[in-house]
Amino acid sequence: MASYIARRLLLLFPVLLGVSIFVFVVLHLFTTDPAALMLGQHATTQQIEALREELGLNDPLYVQFGRFLWQVLHGDLGRSLMTRAPVTDEIMSRFPATIELAFMAMLIATIAGVFVGVLSAVKQYSIFDYLSMVGALVGVSMPIFWLGLMLILLFSVQLGWLPVAGRIDIGMEPARITGLYLLDSLLTGNWAAFVSALKHLILPALALASYSMAIIARMTRSTMLEVIRQDYVRTARAKGLVESLVIYRHALRNALIPVVTVVGLQMGSLLGGAVLTETVFSWPGIGSLLVNAILAADYPLVQGSVILIATIFVVVNLLVDLLYAFLDPRIRYS
Amino acid sequence: MKKWFWPVLLLTALAFVLAGCGGQQAQNAAPAKDITLVYAQGSDPRGLDPAYVDDGESAKVIVNVFEGLVRYKPDSTEVEPCLATEWTSSPDGKEWTFKLRRGVKFHDGTDFNAEAVKFSVERQLPPNRTDDMPYASFTFGPVQKVEVVDQYTVKFILNEPYAPFLANMAMALAAPIVSPAAVQKYGKDFIEHPVGTGPFKFVKWDKGQQIELARNDNYWGDKPAAAKVFFKFTKENSVRASQLKTGEVDMMDGVDPNDVKMLEQSGLKLIKNPGMNINYVGFLCHKPPFNNVKMRQAVSYAINRQNLVDYLYQGLADLANGPLPKFMPGYAADLKPIGYDPEKAKALLKEAGYKGEKITILAYSNPRPYNPVGGEKLAAAIQQDLLKVGINCDIKTYPWKEYKDVLFKAQEGHMFLYGWIGDNGDPDNFLSLFDSKEIAGSLNAAKYSNPQVDKLLAEGRKTMDPAKRAQIYHDLQKIVLEEAPWVYISHSLDMAAYRPNVVNFNLHPTGVVFLRGVSKN
Repeated sequence: MASYIARRLLLLFPVLLGVSIFVFVVLHLFTTDPAALMLGQHATTQQIEALREELGLNDPLYVQFGRFLWQVLHGDLGRSLMTRAPVTDEIMSRFPATIELAFMAMLIATIAGVFVGVLSAVKQYSIFDYLSMVGALVGVSMPIFWLGLMLILLFSVQLGWLPVAGRIDIGMEPARITGLYLLDSLLTGNWAAFVSALKHLILPALALASYSMAIIARMTRSTMLEVIRQDYVRTARAKGLVESLVIYRHALRNALIPVVTVVGLQMGSLLGGAVLTETVFSWPGIGSLLVNAILAADYPLVQGSVILIATIFVVVNLLVDLLYAFLDPRIRYS
Repeated sequence: MKKWFWPVLLLTALAFVLAGCGGQQAQNAAPAKDITLVYAQGSDPRGLDPAYVDDGESAKVIVNVFEGLVRYKPDSTEVEPCLATEWTSSPDGKEWTFKLRRGVKFHDGTDFNAEAVKFSVERQLPPNRTDDMPYASFTFGPVQKVEVVDQYTVKFILNEPYAPFLANMAMALAAPIVSPAAVQKYGKDFIEHPVGTGPFKFVKWDKGQQIELARNDNYWGDKPAAAKVFFKFTKENSVRASQLKTGEVDMMDGVDPNDVKMLEQSGLKLIKNPGMNINYVGFLCHKPPFNNVKMRQAVSYAINRQNLVDYLYQGLADLANGPLPKFMPGYAADLKPIGYDPEKAKALLKEAGYKGEKITILAYSNPRPYNPVGGEKLAAAIQQDLLKVGINCDIKTYPWKEYKDVLFKAQEGHMFLYGWIGDNGDPDNFLSLFDSKEIAGSLNAAKYSNPQVDKLLAEGRKTMDPAKRAQIYHDLQKIVLEEAPWVYISHSLDMAAYRPNVVNFNLHPTGVVFLRGVSKN
């Protein structure tokens, strides 16, 4: 097991190298000149040239990449061109918001998705089954951006139940311990902050959860349908077990493995910055940071964020693989 | 599974219900007399050190934390005393002496005095100046050195007489006076720990969320009405408008044209102010056919500017009467540019010997602050107008990144779309675009050259008397309106919206907001 984990972690390096080469090349070939952006409308060609020289943008690409790699290996992601603050600081100040949003979305998506999926499978071809699968189809195909705006219009502007955007009411931020507002407010016993943070979290989490929820519901339904036709389920029923026990203890646990895979993959992409959701809801996470950085051609910040996102993706996938062994005793890694 | 599933579901449901109850409590909790203002803008500032930034989002926060020696009047770009109470310039215009306000302190307790002024300016002069100070060379270009005469008198020595210098000292960028102690203390991080003398003190910056300012209780002028000010960052225009509608924010800028009706119908107040910009069509004056003034005039007569402004911008821009917006000093109210007259255009084309050669219009593909509908639409509308008088045009479009380079090289095309966003509210800042010296520096994209205009510009920079300066710029505008190196299209409006209980809120023509006088009922 330990050697398996070690091998998987070692694989992280080639993946990250590939990702950083890709990002580096794309950035340098297809985006605006950051020097021109930094200097504004008065900049003369000479000034832009001087700044490009200073930033090292005139060196051949491989030299720039080598320099970047050298820095990264020393744990330094450089300074943001936009704000001049260290990239690691910028990312760390934004990361808790993304974690909080991703976990809440995943919680909603998993609970609702599994629940709907199981119920659809158990009551196959019922009205509930049809409705929920149509709902899932809508969930998969609806653009998050549009859904987000609709949620805001309905729940915030029309009904006035929930705030429009942002992470917490102004001036109510809890004292920083983990950076996760829900957790920090509970740890400090700041109930008002908890409520405010939760209210701000609901709409973006719902919007973000919509896609994953639909995928999970569909996956759960199809694997459950397979499992409940198996012999051991019939046996369980035959020996007189209560139906709910049959479904949840015997069938669901075995149906969960593909579902866990999907949940894991979704979690990876949710943590990797829910770019659209964060933009619509002004959620101060990695996704919105990345959007701003791309718009400002802030090379170091884009690179740093993408490397972080790739790392998360790989690590979450590893965790999912490890979870298989826990769920299905037949699976062993060596 | 069963063991944890229902408790979690119940807890989540409970949390939703509790969240629903908490709202009113939070709203009622705000005490009535300590006013908090929330201003929503599109994104975080780049930074809060006036020496290192050039974006509007930064400027809006900076003007509330920092002050310069002089400042703009509330509704125009004329200057009035601020940290300096009075000033004189030597007869040759090369020396400016400022008497400083006494008893002013920076937010960190440091005394404001002549040394602080010297420090603030000198960190942006060679050899301290670095390439990433976007406005240093513009603002302090002609400044040779700064001398401390006594504790409350400071003297600027310029290389050459330069009348716009005073307007530069009022700018939001580069010019504000910073606390020397704080710059030394924070070093590079001063950009996130600004310390000035302004009506509000910086409290904190939650990246991606908001900046918090608090009233400076030791402020030398009238104390601000608001105890706290938050600049909140909401990227999407329509989401920002929703926040204003629900009362999450009190004021916002960057109003989306599509939201104007909705905002007005919701009983919110809208500000539409002429912006400090010009949207123009330029002729490449250094080569045929537009090296012929009659050709330029002919095209100017052929373009229905009023029509463009009415139908293309639909109330979001004012028709331009020349290069300068109305609120700027030097605006010549009695002068008008060439108007719409297709018959006259045809006659002039004949006189100029135009034989139907194809004209190429260069355009940028994206929207610009002075042209919110983007270059392609404007170029297409002009193409239609020109077709009516028998000029056949094609349009060549470039992304903005390449566009400036194409214009500078000027190897292709005959006409081009362009614009200018004013920096300091001084007429020289706009009219310099006609200076033949700026052909090399790329600001004079039309490559227009007229010795008389150059002479007037030089005179204007040397003349300190406002009335005499106005006359010089009047003469100058008369020439450029007649010679038509540009077709003066429009000044796009700056828009902001606010809730009806907000008092005294206005957008300054420079695009920033001064919140010191703003209050709330």
